[in-house]
Amino acid sequence: MTSSKMAKLLFALMLFLLLAVVGCSSGDDDATGEDETPVEEEPGDEEEVEDDGIYSIDDFDPVKTNEGEAISGGILNFGLVSDTAFEGTLNYNFYSGNPDVQVINWFNESLLGIDENYNYTQDGAATFEVDEDEGSITFTIHEDLNWHDGEPVTAEDWAYAYEIVGHPDYEGVRYTQALSSVEGMPEYKTGEADSISGIEIIDEKTIKFTYHQFTPSLLASGVWAYPLAKHIFEDMEIGDMASSDAVRQNPIGYGPFVVESIVPGESVTFVKNEDYWRGEPNLDGVTLRVINPSVVVQELENGNIDVVDSFPTDQYPENAELANVEFLGGIDNAYTYIGFKFGSWDADAGEVVVDPDAKMADVELRRAMWHAVDNDTVGQRYYNGLRWNATTLIPPSHPDYHDDSIEAPLYDPAEAERILDEAGYEDLDGDGYREDPDGNELVINFASMSGGDIAEPLAQYYMQAWEAVGLNVQLVDGRLQEFNTFYDRVEADDPDIDIYQGAWGVGSDVDPSGLYGRTAAFNYTRFASERNDELLEEGLSEDAFDIAYRQQVYSEWQEYMVEQIPVFPTVYRAVLVPVNNRVHNYFIPQVPGLGVYRNEIALTQEEPLSVSDVD
Amino acid sequence: MWKFIVRRIIITLPQILLLSLFVFLLAQLMPGDALTGLVDPNLDPAQIALQRERLGLNNPWYVQYYDWITSALQGDLGQSFRYKMDVTDIIAQRLVNTFWLSLLTLIFTYMIAIPLGITSGRFNDTFRDQMIVGYTYVGFATPLFIFALLLLWLLGFNFGWFPTGGSVQPGLTPGTLDYVLSKLHHLILPALSMALITTVSTVQYLRSEIIDTKQKEFILTARAKGASESRVYNRHIFRNSLLPIAALFGFEITGLIGGTVFIERIYSYPGMGLLLLESISQRDYSVVVAVVLLFGIASIIGALLSDIILSLVDPRIRIK
Repeated sequence: MTSSKMAKLLFALMLFLLLAVVGCSSGDDDATGEDETPVEEEPGDEEEVEDDGIYSIDDFDPVKTNEGEAISGGILNFGLVSDTAFEGTLNYNFYSGNPDVQVINWFNESLLGIDENYNYTQDGAATFEVDEDEGSITFTIHEDLNWHDGEPVTAEDWAYAYEIVGHPDYEGVRYTQALSSVEGMPEYKTGEADSISGIEIIDEKTIKFTYHQFTPSLLASGVWAYPLAKHIFEDMEIGDMASSDAVRQNPIGYGPFVVESIVPGESVTFVKNEDYWRGEPNLDGVTLRVINPSVVVQELENGNIDVVDSFPTDQYPENAELANVEFLGGIDNAYTYIGFKFGSWDADAGEVVVDPDAKMADVELRRAMWHAVDNDTVGQRYYNGLRWNATTLIPPSHPDYHDDSIEAPLYDPAEAERILDEAGYEDLDGDGYREDPDGNELVINFASMSGGDIAEPLAQYYMQAWEAVGLNVQLVDGRLQEFNTFYDRVEADDPDIDIYQGAWGVGSDVDPSGLYGRTAAFNYTRFASERNDELLEEGLSEDAFDIAYRQQVYSEWQEYMVEQIPVFPTVYRAVLVPVNNRVHNYFIPQVPGLGVYRNEIALTQEEPLSVSDVD
Repeated sequence: MWKFIVRRIIITLPQILLLSLFVFLLAQLMPGDALTGLVDPNLDPAQIALQRERLGLNNPWYVQYYDWITSALQGDLGQSFRYKMDVTDIIAQRLVNTFWLSLLTLIFTYMIAIPLGITSGRFNDTFRDQMIVGYTYVGFATPLFIFALLLLWLLGFNFGWFPTGGSVQPGLTPGTLDYVLSKLHHLILPALSMALITTVSTVQYLRSEIIDTKQKEFILTARAKGASESRVYNRHIFRNSLLPIAALFGFEITGLIGGTVFIERIYSYPGMGLLLLESISQRDYSVVVAVVLLFGIASIIGALLSDIILSLVDPRIRIK
């Protein structure tokens, strides 16, 4: 989620130039193409699609359609789309985020498999048994699971990861709930205890974790399942580990590919791991290169890269017809939202303080504002349909938990006006804007982030939509806020901000208490209520180990949030991944539980397949 | 002479110190810090707060500056938060790339500037001269980043003569001939696109120097002596015109720094310029400060070099 004004600006500029350049080139291609073979116009659907330029996520598949015969071997070229070089902290226990994790995923993986709702399954490299009475989970690591150097992955390695990440001297950011919910972990972290009481190594491949907070979240990607190779790291000081060669130059894992060589920040070559526990990979290897977002289309056209980790969706409409590429699509686990400020954060008590007199405290006002905006049109006009109207705070990326039966307020300006009239917001002084029920002037200050071409018109659209129902909404400082400033001010509960537009990536676990809980620092709206506390608690209760019950609870929570509207979601979004046609069995890694694994990826030919080969 | 150089160096030191303070303060003024970007519900905010405290981000700026400058004087520029390694190590890694890029750019610059400048100066107001002057005007008017993108598209993607990103082909072993050749291959396009633009001022400068020199009286004398035309140009005019160009060499270094920032980004070439942009966008303060400071020092040294060369060439400008 990092960004900066300057980088964005430069990127936007380059994008613009590049598009201009692309425009010229495709023109040329067409001309020569027509000389050789007259292009037959295909009538029907495709034309229409091009005409309105609106796409729907339903038309995309998250797994590659395989055409032709796969060969064995070959090298896949993977493009890591990033305008920054990767940092090179190549270990799950030390990295701080994208783009490093894109590199790590090729040579290492979680020990646990997940289904499409991010719940753990038994088809990962470790299987587990839950003992609910004791509050413990016993894991058994696959017998054939070995590190790339041939040493077995052991229970001790797994415990070692907890000992390092939980250590007082550890400097990374990976110490989270997944670790701290283990019994004895908090004491170990503060240095009070020398060992972690909740971890018990039963034998070489079996380990038992006992939890002091035993919640259903644990089984929904809430376990830290990334062992650390003890035989390599045990002689190092903890402070030196992240910068050691074992992390930066010769990183080790147990995944389908083995790191062969690294050019810091720009490329990595992998060869297959013949000993991979799911079976020997089809590919001989993978070459990963960092690709600047401004040239990603050209690289795909030439066949220089087969797949990328992510594709700038705003470039999709221009390139939807790339002949040598199939676009895979999935629903991103994220949503954009409008948040209302309710109070402030009490850092000492570690909880939110709701101010009942806040400007946005009236739920009718918030509901009217939701009715006033047309998010489906926003999605179509600004994002070509690759973002679409959102209804609840659990996006459809968690299909079993997202409740699409909930009726969220839809675009209806007349309804918005009616609600405002009834709630007493009327224009008393005739300036075209409504006053609040006490007759005071009502100016709502709106904070929105800069970045990208769409940010400005989108913010303007929302303000106009609200103005149309008589609400006076003004941009904070009269301009968009740069990313860092924006979050600094929202986080500090700047009194100049009444409402703001933000976006959340939702975690793999559906539990929203990290974003909306009373004690969550990321609860930027500072909304809290007893009912909310209750529902969130219920979702983590013992009863909620029953999936159906948990769904019920979160369905109620989504409903409750639609009634209370501390924030309202605006759009859900799609992720698109282009894949060269010579690649088989590729899948969008962001979409969980597809049941396809990296060792199955195959090619149909050794040579790259460029656009000109297809035409 | 030595007195002048020593005095000039002494002036440089407080310049650098002032620069370091300035750079540090500017970095402090940037909104956000290395941890602001980590707005991620999977991370624990309490841990992030703890990290802030540990990294000293909550201290007042003068405390942070003092901590930083004292260790910087001992050669320790601190730890990069993002890379989790010493700033000096990252810079060492990247500096090599930028060094080769700059060197090749300089070579290209002079390889283009000298023949063009001489031709244009010697045959001024002919068709050849007009062509060359035309090129320099286009060069002046074209922004570097547009030109670089154009070349990348043309020679990189369209013709496929050059690689389109990175500094070396993945998978080669450092030290082998293939590796060196691949590095060179990756360097040519970025260096050329930068040289073609930055060279134009040198061409113009050389041209007017030559036109100026060839009207001087000693050239008349040389001609009167009966020296051949090529001797007049090669021995007398060229040598005299080249001296001011040599003096500008130091400033070329300064210009290169600005250029590499654009070029490295466009060609995804991991050097200092790209490092600067990345660390700014990620609020990796220790790296930003170190890189800007190094760029600043390079500029100051460039100016110093120019002054020294100039004073060697032209004794009149030596300061007292």
